[in-house]
Amino acid sequence: MVTPGLAFAAFAGVAWGILGGALPGISPSITMALLLPFTYGLDPTNAVVLLAATYVGAEYGGSIPAILIRTPGTNAAAATVIDGYAMKEQGKAGEALGISLYSGFVGGLFGLAVLVLLAQPLSSVALAFTPTSYFALGVLGLSVIGSVSGDSLVKGLMAALFGLMISSIGTDPVTGVSRFTFGSPELLSGIPPILVMVGLFAVGELLVQSSEPGWEKASSTEARIRFPRPAMWRRIARPQLIGSVMGTFEGIMPGGGGTISAFLAYNEARRWSANKEEFGKGSPEGIAAPEAANNTVACTALVPMLSLGIPSSNSSAVLLGGFLIHGLIPGPMLFVKSPDVITGLFVGLFIANVAMLILGYLIMAPCLWLVNRPKPYLMGFIYAFVVSGVYAIEASLFHVGVALLFGVVGYAMRYFKVPFLPMVLGVVLGFMVESNYRRALVLSSGDHMTFLRDPISAGLLGFAAVFIVGSLLRHLFARRVQPGAEATV
Amino acid sequence: MKHRDLVFGGAALAISILYYWMATLVPISQLADAIGPQGLPKVYALILAALSLILLVRGVRDPGSGIRDPKGSGKPATAVSKLSGSPIPDPRSRSFRAAGMLLIGIVYIVLAPWLGYLLSISGLIFATTYYQGGTVGRPAALVALCGGVFFWVLFVAFMGIAQPPGLFPLQP
Repeated sequence: MVTPGLAFAAFAGVAWGILGGALPGISPSITMALLLPFTYGLDPTNAVVLLAATYVGAEYGGSIPAILIRTPGTNAAAATVIDGYAMKEQGKAGEALGISLYSGFVGGLFGLAVLVLLAQPLSSVALAFTPTSYFALGVLGLSVIGSVSGDSLVKGLMAALFGLMISSIGTDPVTGVSRFTFGSPELLSGIPPILVMVGLFAVGELLVQSSEPGWEKASSTEARIRFPRPAMWRRIARPQLIGSVMGTFEGIMPGGGGTISAFLAYNEARRWSANKEEFGKGSPEGIAAPEAANNTVACTALVPMLSLGIPSSNSSAVLLGGFLIHGLIPGPMLFVKSPDVITGLFVGLFIANVAMLILGYLIMAPCLWLVNRPKPYLMGFIYAFVVSGVYAIEASLFHVGVALLFGVVGYAMRYFKVPFLPMVLGVVLGFMVESNYRRALVLSSGDHMTFLRDPISAGLLGFAAVFIVGSLLRHLFARRVQPGAEATV
Repeated sequence: MKHRDLVFGGAALAISILYYWMATLVPISQLADAIGPQGLPKVYALILAALSLILLVRGVRDPGSGIRDPKGSGKPATAVSKLSGSPIPDPRSRSFRAAGMLLIGIVYIVLAPWLGYLLSISGLIFATTYYQGGTVGRPAALVALCGGVFFWVLFVAFMGIAQPPGLFPLQP
């Protein structure tokens, strides 16, 4: 079950994730997107383990600059800054890093247990899926757009439509005629979702970072990790549990993610703490709760992605891209067709969490070295990595151009404050929705009631309706509470 | 922020019209189903047009004029970096800087088929480093060349991943 390749992928992914997460401005999804093209030549199981382990490593890596230079490496590490940097100011940086690492390990194992328990049972309904069910599943996936649209539901829906439009480029799934290809043979097979993701996340962020100033330097003398002692274990056990529970709920819920869960966990840990007054002044509990939460999310965010094929965060969307590269379609049938990949992923995630504990200690020195490099050199190497990776997908400079084009789109979307995830959902789910919708209608002689007669399809569409109505009500309520605010429906 | 919504809404409306027109040009096969290859694209375009109009109407009804200084000086507030807290350039000059980065990538695409991977990727690292404020000199050139060799060894020689061979392919 544990092959050398799998173990290597888990360790390499964690190492890459910690390094990427430690660089301010490079989110876990960008760290994963940079790696995505290089997974082409790998064994499918090792490829998805490499990406999932990167996610695990990046969630911990973000806490390193948060504690040392008061700059969260990832958004989810923002809550760690509060007490992490305060502990560093008191000369306890090593202890703070140790608590962060240990809590991340605990949260990661908790999240993995939840993932194994929740994702597996859904495989039992896999064989009953028909084109109508798959169409309904796609609609359910698209219905979470309201939850991942941020402040503006209208912009989120528009982004999703752009994604659906991109998915319609190429050969028509039913008749085989070419659509929107401009006579280009490269576009006949459509635009691979991986190019959209690398463009939006990695190239777009490079363009944004080109005018951002650099960050502070970290001192290497204060960054020797000190693992917590048994007395500290007992003290941080409760905030770790709170963080893990918060991470479970937020990871499973679409649009939740590590950032929200980390702040919720911080808040709840303070509420239930016997040392409330220490929070904000260097409380170990204030590090343990958010770090356990964001590492729990790294595993629980995979529950909807694996079982239903619905990515609930940017990082799980990139991981979904890793599955698609290898022809693996996440969703119920994945458990039937490729149980070895699922088992390998679970084992790989366990190794990744153990690897995080080991590498988190060993990799501190190179991590600090990397954070302290001049930003111009870092940008040059990251740019080189991106173009090399995209070219490697199909040895095509045309693909490099497409990725750059989507980098411009990503830059524009950041400028106009349009969320990415709905667009990624549209690109990933567009083909599934259209092809199964039309196939189902062909099989039923054009009878739309077929979607309600199939119990699985009806149930999924019912869930989708609940999601859509809930999102609309939430946005309407937010607008009524803050009529002058940016939050709009 | 409403002026940005107006620009975005206008651009999206133009895209929806263009996309709808292009959808009408998609040939209909003899084997076409009831929906056909034009069906859903046309629906996407119509919904996008409707949402664009909502954004435009909202922008016109409630026009804003950018992020204003809360003290009421009337001048746009200076944006501040989330990383370091220092002021960052205004949106126009930021877009120009981003366009420069993009240009470096485009030049790479143009030159790579002739120069090959090693030289073109070294050039990309050197150009990006210089463009981002690095100095032009022997150290920068050395770092770029070492970077190029590192990437060539890693991808081409070690991992066997194809990269642009150029006119004079370098075999591992």
